[in-house]
Amino acid sequence: MILAAAVLAGFAAGFLRAARAGRPYRTPDLRYPALVLVAFLPQMFAFYLSRTDLPNLGGFGEWGRVILVISQLLLLVFVLFNRRQPGFWLLGLGLALNLLVILLNGGYMPISPETVRTIYPGVPDSQWQIGHRLGNGKDIVLLPEETRLWFLSDRFTFPEGWNLLVAFSFGDILIALGAFWLLWSLGGSSQPSPMLVNEESR
Amino acid sequence: MKNTARNLYLALASVDSSKTRLVLFVLTVAMFAIAAGAPDAGGGMIR
Repeated sequence: MILAAAVLAGFAAGFLRAARAGRPYRTPDLRYPALVLVAFLPQMFAFYLSRTDLPNLGGFGEWGRVILVISQLLLLVFVLFNRRQPGFWLLGLGLALNLLVILLNGGYMPISPETVRTIYPGVPDSQWQIGHRLGNGKDIVLLPEETRLWFLSDRFTFPEGWNLLVAFSFGDILIALGAFWLLWSLGGSSQPSPMLVNEESR
Repeated sequence: MKNTARNLYLALASVDSSKTRLVLFVLTVAMFAIAAGAPDAGGGMIR
């Protein structure tokens, strides 16, 4: 949700920026965009459709972790091919941090019991188990002291009263900022910045 | 065969309008962000 919001906000900001300057909103030529679709589709079945009443495969069971890691590796390859696009280094860094903590904790994003209770108020503890995947999502419930690189896990939540029950990681924040930056920058001039021109002329 | 290739080319060329490219680009970024991120926004457990 926060990531989709960042995409919408970035697109709206970039579009307004272009409109104010009387420029068209640019569309860059991304290299190998099909990689994103190939990475996204298995995740859609494993993590998103399994939350709905649509036909699903029950989160793919233990295959969920394999799907998550392989799909994030594909996205990393996509980032490498497109690293010269604005914001992609942030997208790539966020993705790499998420992938690192996921790999070090058995293939899912760790989340602490405390955070689970915060984002699922009213849900009894019997609905989840420490050391197991949280429902059909991307997270696994782990105690902070048993989590490798705990500071990169899904440990952030919105302040109480915001009514946004979401847990997210530092990597997620970088991905959201990178997506916003990319979409916002496309509303600007297509001329490279003086700093880039100087770097390229060396 | 030649006609088929030509028809395919024309079909692809018509898809490659600026608006379609923009929609595909935004969709690609959205899919990337959702697949690369791992926030838990509820719903996964309560089924």
